[in-house]
Amino acid sequence: MFENIDPKELKYVGKGLKRIDGIEKATGDALYVSDMFLHGMLHAKVKASPFASARIKKIDTSRAEKLPGVRAILTGADLNYRVGLYIVDKYILAKDIVRHQGEAVAAVAADTEEIAKAAVDLIEVEYEELEPVLDPLKAIQTDAPLVHPDLGKYSYVEAAFTPVPGTNIANHTKLRKGDIEKGFKEADYIFEREYSNPSVQHVPMETHVSIAQWQAGDKITIWSSAQSPFTVRNLFCYSFGISHKNVRVIVPYVGGGFGGKAGIALEPLVACLSKKAGGKPVKLQATREEEFNLLACRSALVYKIKTGVKKDGKIIAQRMEMFWDSGAYADYAVNVTRASGYSAAGPYEIPNAWLDAYTIYTNKVYGTAYRGFGHVEFFWGLERHMDYIADKLKIDPLKFRLINTLKPGSRTITGELIHENSGNVSKCLETVAKAINYGVKTKEEEKREKQNKTIISKAVCALHKAPAMPPFTGTVVIIKMNEDGSVIANLALTDYGAGTYTSIAQIIAEQLRIPFEKVKIAFECDTDRDPYDWQTVASKGLMLSGNAAILACKDMLEKMYDMAAQILRANPCDLRHNDEKVYIVHDPHKFVRYREMAVGYAYSNGNGIGGPLVGVGRYTACGLTNLDKETGQGNPALDWTYGAHGVVIEIDPETGEFSVIHSASAFDAGKVINAAAARGQCVGGFIQGLGTAICEGYIYNSKGQLMNPSFTDNKIPTAKDIPEKMEVFFVETPQLDGPYGARGIGEHSMISVAPAIGNALKNALGIELLRMPIRSEDVWRELSKKRKAK
Amino acid sequence: MQFGFTYHRPASVIELCELLNRYGAKCKILAGGTDLIVDIRAGLKKYDYIVDIKNIPELNELSFSKQKGLSIGAAVTCSQLIEDSTAQKKYHLLCECAETIASYPLRNRATIVGNIVNASPCADTAPGLLCLDAQVLIKSSSGEKTIALKDFFEGVKKVKLAPNEFVSKIIVPPASAEAKGAYMKLKRIKGHDLSLVSVAMAVIKKNIIRVAIASAAPTPVILPDFSKNTKVDEIINVALKTVKPIDDIRSSKDYRLHMIGVYIKRLYEQLIK
Repeated sequence: MFENIDPKELKYVGKGLKRIDGIEKATGDALYVSDMFLHGMLHAKVKASPFASARIKKIDTSRAEKLPGVRAILTGADLNYRVGLYIVDKYILAKDIVRHQGEAVAAVAADTEEIAKAAVDLIEVEYEELEPVLDPLKAIQTDAPLVHPDLGKYSYVEAAFTPVPGTNIANHTKLRKGDIEKGFKEADYIFEREYSNPSVQHVPMETHVSIAQWQAGDKITIWSSAQSPFTVRNLFCYSFGISHKNVRVIVPYVGGGFGGKAGIALEPLVACLSKKAGGKPVKLQATREEEFNLLACRSALVYKIKTGVKKDGKIIAQRMEMFWDSGAYADYAVNVTRASGYSAAGPYEIPNAWLDAYTIYTNKVYGTAYRGFGHVEFFWGLERHMDYIADKLKIDPLKFRLINTLKPGSRTITGELIHENSGNVSKCLETVAKAINYGVKTKEEEKREKQNKTIISKAVCALHKAPAMPPFTGTVVIIKMNEDGSVIANLALTDYGAGTYTSIAQIIAEQLRIPFEKVKIAFECDTDRDPYDWQTVASKGLMLSGNAAILACKDMLEKMYDMAAQILRANPCDLRHNDEKVYIVHDPHKFVRYREMAVGYAYSNGNGIGGPLVGVGRYTACGLTNLDKETGQGNPALDWTYGAHGVVIEIDPETGEFSVIHSASAFDAGKVINAAAARGQCVGGFIQGLGTAICEGYIYNSKGQLMNPSFTDNKIPTAKDIPEKMEVFFVETPQLDGPYGARGIGEHSMISVAPAIGNALKNALGIELLRMPIRSEDVWRELSKKRKAK
Repeated sequence: MQFGFTYHRPASVIELCELLNRYGAKCKILAGGTDLIVDIRAGLKKYDYIVDIKNIPELNELSFSKQKGLSIGAAVTCSQLIEDSTAQKKYHLLCECAETIASYPLRNRATIVGNIVNASPCADTAPGLLCLDAQVLIKSSSGEKTIALKDFFEGVKKVKLAPNEFVSKIIVPPASAEAKGAYMKLKRIKGHDLSLVSVAMAVIKKNIIRVAIASAAPTPVILPDFSKNTKVDEIINVALKTVKPIDDIRSSKDYRLHMIGVYIKRLYEQLIK
């Protein structure tokens, strides 16, 4: 809800206020599930498959059962439940078949973690190793072994997905716009290339951890480090056929998620162990190594792009093929495929577009949501491709982009009309280009090159993303006023590090016109006590919950005005509010304080009116549609957040080593609610994008075993890897249905970092790297090849 | 129990020797523990007895004398060495190597002797110590002996040390004091990482060039001494003939060989030219 308010009149919105959860996190007072210990609690460990694909011939738990302190042992044979977000394809413990290395085949709950681990070691599993399916492009060939022979029998969300039974295709997303053949005929040039990237791990600081207690009468309580308490509850109830009222999910502070905790993970297994152990609470926390291959990762992608362009640089046709390596289970990967499919052309107008995106089952760790939801992966290819075309056309890459960017009147590849308030990607590109002195080398940069014997190079890349969510996604915020006029807001959107709660507190303080310090957002989410929220994903939290918060304030104000009208003997239309008072507009010294009405107003003789103050705000995304399954046409986007990155990199041409020395990022945030949090998100996202670009990624051997399931060989950037200078800019084209005009920016900050680096390397060295990550060795190897070719 | 071991914390070398005699291969010495504990937790190693040496005063000694050189006791941490002004002044190369080990908190625990006894091919202090002609003082209940570090390494994670012996200290001789030197290390990120390949070079007594290389063979290697007027290409040639790098997930053999050449050239330019 954009209200055209002069920023000067805003007291809290737009300011860089300190995080409301800062102190408890800095002092260690914040309680995470990792910290929790319940009376009588057991500890669980899982037995993982060493093979990527195998038949379980026999599991012998007899030795483990005899170990003192063991309270429950489960194998796949004990559990006949399948779980799945969009396709219900995963057993809680592998049953008969294991589909990836690291998959749990048995689990133990015991008095201590050590006993549980010892018991797991005593479980003997006899496997018959099978030939694993590893290469997604081979997996879709007709003779490939099937990872899920029963795909045709699984239930799935039919409105959005299209599994192809009898193949390894978990979902096929199609998009057809215009006339692709005609487009290519009209093109002056056609350019085609293939780009790829590996699976990546989220590495949240707090590994996945759940505690569950399954009590008599199927009353179940789950404490979990999860992003989406209501989705955990819903999927859990669906799998077990238990009423939602019986299952309570509690999410306290969460130590990071990045999408890896978006859905359901360890909760069902832990609950089943608790049931088997007679209702004792059971805790299971993944080790760092288990984060890599017991839990899910980001899917790998092969992206083929064929583009037809006119001589003047206008793109006229584009055919896109995405091959998403889902790994062993579909989880979020099918929706990553769908969401990146409708977004796959980037923030550019493509009159004739054709897309086939496949989610492909293989015998590898399964893919899930990861910050960017497919966009980091495909923008690597897309934005490298844009530079490739520009280079061939001999047009400056920035200019080439600006020719093709979406502008008011453009239509996206799903046919959505772009208008004045959709956001301005061109302005983002121009902002970062200016910040990095794009197109020129400064005197200091020349001096630095000489001094360090390096080459300095620059590039700019664009990006966009819309939330991937059901078109009818809704949320609720409830605000309760306390006796002293302070308020507590309840919502089930979690704040697992993004700072959204602080922004929502600012919105509430602004709307109610109370001091910011008088607003509390209850940090612990509890499905028994909090109102519904779908999930904390997709960079939609601030927009949907921010709107719900505004509506909750309006609801509370309406109730206060009703009461104040009686107390002050005034018309509600003559009332205004400010400084924690409701007053008569033409007679401001007649007022009633909020706190006098907080729990109902009492007259001096003891008569009461009103009742305790509560404000309820419900908000549902407006005007979105399912996409046509044959053409992909429709209206999928709550909002499009556009952005751009500019990088200045310094390269050592002798060793291939390089570093980003200056980054500039710009996003059309609509309206920045918290300036400090927004910058924090953008800096953090850039660094995460840098990790993806330079060092992260799963490495498998020929048997499908993960070679680097730890920080020893899966490096992530450290403080020393941060660019010397990081600039963040915000363009503010108000989103008409966003709170104060705001859009989400949580994921966008990491999207096009990698292609910007790839393009800068190309500009300086003439090398074409088509696969992420870009390691110094890759740069050196390409350079050596080039030197030899000369 | 899975991680179960009996923990001993002797207060003297005599007590330590008794424990080593009693338990032999069933026990393992704990100093920093930054490798040992990780391996035990991962189930890669299992010991019945862990003998913590941090409580033995003489093993915590870090000292320098003009006659004996620098003496680094077995419990001396990387940070202790790095923060020691004499070590920084007299054996700058060694401190530079130690500063590239892991991260700040790990350097507060990890020991120099541990880095050597662990005998990883990528041990960061090894190239520096090899260039500086470090000696290893080995003790047991039957006495003590000193061997050159270059003869101490036997293979990947293998050293010449009997179950009843322990390394009491590393001695860096006075002849190497004030040597000019530098260390170059290839990593995947700028933060803490194991060396993909690394080279140390020192100029001893202003006329001998010494080069040692890590992560390029089963053990860190030292090249034969070169006189100061040796051409850099010759050093590179000898280096490339001496090392035997492998292809692994961290780096390829080719890139390792290339970077050895680059580092020797750069170190030569920095120290000799």
